[in-house]
Amino acid sequence: MSSREDILQNIRRATYMKYEKPDLKPLEDVALSYPDRLEQFFLVMKQVGGEAVLLAKREDVNDFISRNYPEAMRVASNLEFVTCATCNPDRVEDPSELDGTDLAVIAGKIGVAENGAVWIEQDVKQRAIYFIAEKLIILLDRNHIVNNMHEAYKLIDTGKYGFGTFISGPSKTADIEQALVMGAHGSRSVVVALI
Amino acid sequence: MKVGLFIPCYINAVYPHVGIASYKLLKSLGVDVDYPLDQTCCGQPMANAGFEKEAVELARRFDRQFEDYDYIVGPSASCVVFVRDNHGRLLKEDRHRCASESKIYDICEFVHDVVRPTSLKARFPHKVSLQNSCHGVRLMKLSSASELNIPYFSKLRNLLSLVEGVEVVEPERQDECCGFGGMFAVEEDAVSIQMGHDKAMHHIATGAEYIVGADSSCLMHLSGIIARDKLPVQTLHIVEILAAGL
Amino acid sequence: MSTKHSKAAAEFLENKKQAAWHDETLWMVREKRDQLSKKVPEWEELRNMACATKLYSNSHLDELLVEFERNARANGAHVYWAKDADEYCNIVYNILNQHGVKHFIKSKSMLAEECELNPFLQNKGIEVVESDLGERILQLMHLKPSHIVLPAIHIKREQVGELFEKEMGTEKGNYDPTYLTHAARKNLRQRFIHAQAAMTGTNFAVASTGEVVVCTNEGNADMGTSQPKLQIAAFGIEKIVPDRESLGVFIRMLARSATGQPVTTYTSHYRKPREGGELHIIIVDNGRSNILANPKHIKALNCIRCGACMNTCPVYRRSGGYSYTYFIPGPIGINLGMLKAPLHYHDNVSACSLCYSCSLVCPVKVDLAEQIYLWRQDLDKLGKANCMKKVMSGGMKFMMNRPQVFNMALSWAPQVNKMPRFLIYNGLNGWGKGREMPNFADESFNEMWKKGKVK
Repeated sequence: MSSREDILQNIRRATYMKYEKPDLKPLEDVALSYPDRLEQFFLVMKQVGGEAVLLAKREDVNDFISRNYPEAMRVASNLEFVTCATCNPDRVEDPSELDGTDLAVIAGKIGVAENGAVWIEQDVKQRAIYFIAEKLIILLDRNHIVNNMHEAYKLIDTGKYGFGTFISGPSKTADIEQALVMGAHGSRSVVVALI
Repeated sequence: MKVGLFIPCYINAVYPHVGIASYKLLKSLGVDVDYPLDQTCCGQPMANAGFEKEAVELARRFDRQFEDYDYIVGPSASCVVFVRDNHGRLLKEDRHRCASESKIYDICEFVHDVVRPTSLKARFPHKVSLQNSCHGVRLMKLSSASELNIPYFSKLRNLLSLVEGVEVVEPERQDECCGFGGMFAVEEDAVSIQMGHDKAMHHIATGAEYIVGADSSCLMHLSGIIARDKLPVQTLHIVEILAAGL
Repeated sequence: MSTKHSKAAAEFLENKKQAAWHDETLWMVREKRDQLSKKVPEWEELRNMACATKLYSNSHLDELLVEFERNARANGAHVYWAKDADEYCNIVYNILNQHGVKHFIKSKSMLAEECELNPFLQNKGIEVVESDLGERILQLMHLKPSHIVLPAIHIKREQVGELFEKEMGTEKGNYDPTYLTHAARKNLRQRFIHAQAAMTGTNFAVASTGEVVVCTNEGNADMGTSQPKLQIAAFGIEKIVPDRESLGVFIRMLARSATGQPVTTYTSHYRKPREGGELHIIIVDNGRSNILANPKHIKALNCIRCGACMNTCPVYRRSGGYSYTYFIPGPIGINLGMLKAPLHYHDNVSACSLCYSCSLVCPVKVDLAEQIYLWRQDLDKLGKANCMKKVMSGGMKFMMNRPQVFNMALSWAPQVNKMPRFLIYNGLNGWGKGREMPNFADESFNEMWKKGKVK
């Protein structure tokens, strides 16, 4: 008999009592919510080591970059309005070529007020760009901020690439004596630019 | 309302004055209290050590001893909650249902929830630090456990608020274990002693003169540490304060 | 008579400074967890729902695993089933071998630790690189994790500095955590790029979508799986959740419980293989299905490996992860060890004062302390009871069932107070090592009551 059948049969034999699936609705109805989700999002971004900024329109991100990232030589983005981009991760064959990217500009779908997470549905050929760039700017529609993860999970999907990730602030670790250090393997800084 | 006073074995042997204070406190509150003779032990030490079956006969004895009382009240949260949570299961083979589990109270719980006095005659002009015992907090719910997201409450603090002159504080890590744990104290002596020492130091850091709790077992452990290390604090069972001056 | 745990704990406590640091640092993590959980008004209801969802999923494993498999295959993933550690290791090896992989990068997986995957692969000539910073430090030191979330919590910065100086050429004497972390970032970046395959553990496997979800703060799982095109993920059968709605409940609790963060930096959902790549998913039993048949201990399968029970445990904090004989320490490790092989891992059952803090801190309501109490009751049957405790319990039973004997003992007890110290305080008396014995009263309560002295 295959291991699959073995395991399934063992499970069936061992399962004495079946428990009902709980109804999550009452929990979702009382879950954390904020009178001003935007304000809370600004606050929580700071707590997770990132930053949120407001931009009037998406094209303003170019100005924002030239003002705030003057040292960024390699800017990667596949968003057509990011005119200061020097590299398009859609046209990169080998993701290792993205190593050395100073700044990546990517699009977020949903922001979560309770934890600063922004849902990124992969929309670029090389998802490495989300992690390998030294610094990250995530563009997000300011009207797409939900209260909590229950709400977020009702809205997200993984799209045609079959990958998505919540990113909440910069990469971090405290593995050496619990001292918090930003920039473990992923981006050292994360700015969510709210349009 | 007839109350049978339950005096756990180690209080009987080491802290009889806690038993006396309990009796006086209940009497002073107008409770009809009696002491069924020849009590021994509830069985917790054996059960926590892994020998629950050695406690079955004791549970049976206990149930018989208190069968004529409406309430069983004892000055030890840990022993009381052991009876409440375990005697029924230990006696499940018996023909009579175990009656103790539904009528047993810790003395603080009983005074706070059943007698509900609005004043006491006690006066105790000292600063005390609360020893929130693990079983008192997490099994008996004498106060809100620090792990849970529930509103703060403390039945011990409420009772002490009826005592004139007393100042009540709580240590850092308000309900961390003192390291007693019955036979744990000898089987894991090094960890137990370290826990006891840390707990005593947290109490001392509050500036309190007394460590006060509802479990003489924690207090016995802390007293052992205090006496060995000659630390500047003393222990008191809460009933000794509630019955002060009686 | 003492257990292996109690002896190792005593040794751990001999280094007073390091032991105090360990206790205080982990307590700080517990405090961060308290602050975060208290900002969520519905926290206790979240715990209830998380527990109920796990009880549901673990009692419908056959349906949910098959649903997961069907969806994962439809997404283009390869799905394997492994009965035990050996089969799991062989499946991983075969995948790597068929692709000619010699350089392999891993993110943290407690399942891989459980099944001892790394030595298995290394024996077959495959280079395995751990990419989580803590795990990498330990791998280079040839040590095992001492905590499931903070694996290198017992290592000092000076040790890391000296190690990196040797392994990565960092400045001599520079022990700054930021400097050392960034040196590892640079060093491992090349490992990610040159790896031929990447493997992750799995925090949750979602039946309704066939995706695996991995949570990290460092981004190491994602750095790995976005470079080489060959990706492997493995999970124990209890990691399954029915759908994304349920997943939301657990994601809200995991990081808050583990490290006191509102969420991990990255919560990645791997559903399809990369373009032109392959995704291999291994479903592992390795003894878990047997736990289903054990109603007293079934909730141990609720565990989401957050480590909160370790951070709160007063014994773990003061004895360190290596004092336990099972590879997972702390309250959950005591229980999982006993479920794995009681005759091997019974030494850990002593490491509990029954304070019940673990049971209340647990986000999925595993009844950790209650289960340890139950294991203690089983030790005698296993022939592993502590002789001294057995004699004491038997003696107490004899005396406590005979009030006249008890009363006699009470009347003689005060004589003990007057005994010479060397008779009381010696190597045989664990209590006396750091504590004075209580003084017996001249008259017991029983005696005073009989004499009418209680008024």
